Amino acid sequence: MFGFFENKKSATVAKDRLTIAIMSDRDRTNGYPFMDEMKAEIIKVVQKYVGVKDVEIRKEVDGEVEALAIDVELDKNA
Amino acid sequence: MGIVIAVISGKGGVGKTTATANLGLGIAINNKKCVVVDFDIGQRNLDMILGLENRVVYDMVQVMDGEANLKQALIKSKVNENLHFLAASQTKDKSVLDSDKVEKLVSELRESFDFVILDAPAGIESGYEHTIEFADAAIVVVNPEVSSIRDADRAIGILDSKSAKVKAGDDVAKYLVINRIVADMVESGEMLKSDDILEILNIKLLGKIPEDKGVIDASNQGKPVILDKKSIAGQAYDRISGRLCGQKVDMKDIEVSDAGLFKKITGIFK
Repeated sequence: MFGFFENKKSATVAKDRLTIAIMSDRDRTNGYPFMDEMKAEIIKVVQKYVGVKDVEIRKEVDGEVEALAIDVELDKNA
Repeated sequence: MGIVIAVISGKGGVGKTTATANLGLGIAINNKKCVVVDFDIGQRNLDMILGLENRVVYDMVQVMDGEANLKQALIKSKVNENLHFLAASQTKDKSVLDSDKVEKLVSELRESFDFVILDAPAGIESGYEHTIEFADAAIVVVNPEVSSIRDADRAIGILDSKSAKVKAGDDVAKYLVINRIVADMVESGEMLKSDDILEILNIKLLGKIPEDKGVIDASNQGKPVILDKKSIAGQAYDRISGRLCGQKVDMKDIEVSDAGLFKKITGIFK
């Protein structure tokens, strides 16, 4: 019964592990090419009204749905 | 107007510099004017692999800073007069690079050479980003091993977001070289197959290079392994160089057809 794993060649194990690791790397780190510029513009716009400490943009993928999560941290002292 | 190709890997130690040296020389042997540039500032290595370490007077940082002109800094290979080399700075660190200077240097080189090959530093930091920024194409070097493949995927991701061509709405061509393949390990299922690596990275194959002890022997002497006609790695570099120069060279014991790849690569020159 547990012979199933024992018989699995290490190259197959490598492929399975890599596929999962790379998929999760891509979701977490690979945003869209425009994200740096967008971040700079968001800071500019918000700063017209209130001080900004930092803006964080994340690409979030859930199945077929892609979304952008934007967090704007305000600077109360500004 | 030449083509600018960055040789990248993500992980270090996979044979990126060896590939740069051998493909540069291979292209030169195919009668194309080629310059190889070491972008690994602070960790100069390409000079050793090419056997040119004693001839370096000026480096690329000095050229970018106007302390030397390109003509003074370019070193012509004695092995093949089509091959030129531009050394990395050994004393400065990677932060000396900036986009404007890199763009100027790359476009100057593009004017006088058919091929401009940039040897990227390992990692995915600013030095790497500057190497890929103005490249038309990238050659990704991996070993058939999990950490190399994972790091290559990150490097490709950065290429796809930071390349000037991509930012302008264009595509940057990417081709994979799989280095250090041990055939009997692949056969026994202990090493990843090239097809699996291509599928995971979603990239086209440029060539496969077998594990070959001759590579270390060649770098000991500063004579790229492509000069050794008996070396199986040297023969593999010879085939890849032919493909880069637009020849139809069959993919040796590889299951995928390279017809599409051939068309794409020759298309770069049109």
